[in-house]
Amino acid sequence: MIAIIDYKAGNTGSVQNALNRLGVVSVITADPSKIKSSSGVIFPGQGRAGAAMNQLKNTGLDKLIPKLTQPFLGICLGMQLLAEVSDEDNVDCLNVISGECRKFPALLKTPQLGWNKVMFNKRSPLIRGIASGQYFYFLNSYYFDAEQMYVAGTASYGFDFPAVVAKDNFFAVQFHPEKSANPGEQLLKNFCEISKCL
Amino acid sequence: MFVIPAIDIKDGKCVRLFQGDFDKVTTYSNDPILVAKKFARLGAKLLHIIDLDGAKKGFPVSQQIILDIANRVSVPVQVGGGIRSYKSAKAYLCSGVERIILSTAVVKNRKLVKRLVAEFGDSRIVVAVDIKNGQFAIDGWTKSGGKSVVQSIALLKELSIKNVLVTDISKDGALGGPNFGLTQQFIDAGFQTMAAGGVSTLPDTIEFNKRGAYGVVVGKAVYENSMDITSAQAAVSYKNTLAKRLIPCLDVRGTKVVKGTNFTRLREVGDPVTLAKKYSDSGADELTFLDIAATLEERKTFREMVTNIAGAINIPFTVGGGITSLDDIRQLLQAGADKVSIGSAAVLQPGLIRQAAAYFGSQCIVVSVDAKRKGDSWVVYIKGGSEATNIDAVNFCVDMEDLGAGELLVNSLDRDGMNSGFDIELLRLITQAVNIPVIASSGGGSPEDFADVFQQTNVDAALGASIFHYQNVKPSSLKTYLASKNVAVRI
Repeated sequence: MIAIIDYKAGNTGSVQNALNRLGVVSVITADPSKIKSSSGVIFPGQGRAGAAMNQLKNTGLDKLIPKLTQPFLGICLGMQLLAEVSDEDNVDCLNVISGECRKFPALLKTPQLGWNKVMFNKRSPLIRGIASGQYFYFLNSYYFDAEQMYVAGTASYGFDFPAVVAKDNFFAVQFHPEKSANPGEQLLKNFCEISKCL
Repeated sequence: MFVIPAIDIKDGKCVRLFQGDFDKVTTYSNDPILVAKKFARLGAKLLHIIDLDGAKKGFPVSQQIILDIANRVSVPVQVGGGIRSYKSAKAYLCSGVERIILSTAVVKNRKLVKRLVAEFGDSRIVVAVDIKNGQFAIDGWTKSGGKSVVQSIALLKELSIKNVLVTDISKDGALGGPNFGLTQQFIDAGFQTMAAGGVSTLPDTIEFNKRGAYGVVVGKAVYENSMDITSAQAAVSYKNTLAKRLIPCLDVRGTKVVKGTNFTRLREVGDPVTLAKKYSDSGADELTFLDIAATLEERKTFREMVTNIAGAINIPFTVGGGITSLDDIRQLLQAGADKVSIGSAAVLQPGLIRQAAAYFGSQCIVVSVDAKRKGDSWVVYIKGGSEATNIDAVNFCVDMEDLGAGELLVNSLDRDGMNSGFDIELLRLITQAVNIPVIASSGGGSPEDFADVFQQTNVDAALGASIFHYQNVKPSSLKTYLASKNVAVRI
């Protein structure tokens, strides 16, 4: 069972739809015991960092998430919240992976919206079977300027920014795999396999 | 971003001053022209030349050497130092110098600055803002101009200045690390900002690029080889691999996809979920469904269909049509739509856009604009193109961005259903006016039309209907064609 964390930050349904298409059972939940007992956790998200962190604090999930030991996948805002801090709302985040979230400079259209090419610079079970240079769907105004040693993939929007990070059991992607056609489906499938749900 | 090597000239030689102090001089070369040629060869795309004697005396002193450089190297140069009269400015701008850098003149002679901007254009005038202890410094750094950073920004805006060169004098030539915050103030105020003073490492340069600087001026670091121009310029050159999107649009009435001409005379095309799956499997980047329901029953059916589509496809989709409230938006997002497109309601109750962006986030709020040409401009229409307003379409788009719209869908009523090409002129004006993604809609009847709109405007996506529904052009084959025309697409 995959737990999809529900913290009132959008698109949990899209992630569940994608898992349904893979035939993987999932539950959308904010219940700490269900999250702890799941074999893999997906942390999706869209919206603002400040509001999302408040919601996590209200439910105690801000303490739980950094301690999880099963495979964990942050998506979009769910990736950004793994940072130490975010420029968005100047908020302290979960501090799972070193680095900060920064806004794309104003000379670029924001949000970055659409399909961008992701180049992998490290091996990771999360991206097994996906060629470097495939397109994934992005929708973000901020990016996670993570410490280089945790960056497994980048995309270019004015400059290279981290698109995939990995540290121990924590994986995170800036794009939306649930909306990224076949490469996205493969990535979610890999995550379910890492979580032993497939 | 540009990595801009500095060539400071004193007594005809290439020198560096320590913190602007004329008594602390290091001479690097007796031949500034050779130095300039070397920088160009190493990959610099812009050179920064300062007449130090001129800056101190208040009129150009090394003009001849500088013009020699400007006319003998292959890259553009910007020149500063002692340019305080119309005559000295013109002498440079009409003799091969790309841009001049003004400083003292700004504080002392506003009329001159205004005249130069008006005559030569804002892209050829740079104002050097030298800040010492929080104050605008003048006269080759030996006096203070008595303006704070905030006052300087206001003054530069008033003078229609676009390019600034920001130096924290206390950092210059000291290799002690730059003042990022100071530069950021100017970037955030909307200037094309070059940073100078203490830029000495590759990580500093990369940091300025991430902050949105236009360039960094490097001095001592390149002369003393602590930074390599070639690799620094390569590291910060603009890279963008975001693809242009193709979006098949499906007009839905009840349970059927339909297509009409000029919003009337509808024809049935097929089942929404089947078509959605077909398009997502054949290379569409995104889909748009417009609900053209005429009854409440049809509207309910539409929401059920949104749920079915969300379960079936693995690419994003937008739904629109008839949205008038936050509750409408909530229902469609909950049904599984990624974005909602709001039309007439954005015109009639613009507050809805502000509320929706605050509630659901700008990322899912698309404003759909129906524009029709009227004389030299375009006006906004509402209610499916049936009713004109007196609102200018371009101004409307800017207002929508300000209210929090995350994307604009621009329909041209003159082109809708005509297959006569997109309204390039309108799309150009709108993409120049806003800084959010723009989707071109209406008129895309042939692959050439799509190539034209991507090549001739800065739109991010193009919407098509009949080309996909009737002409049987697959999104994937249209993309192959676009790729052959050097349009970046996802294949």
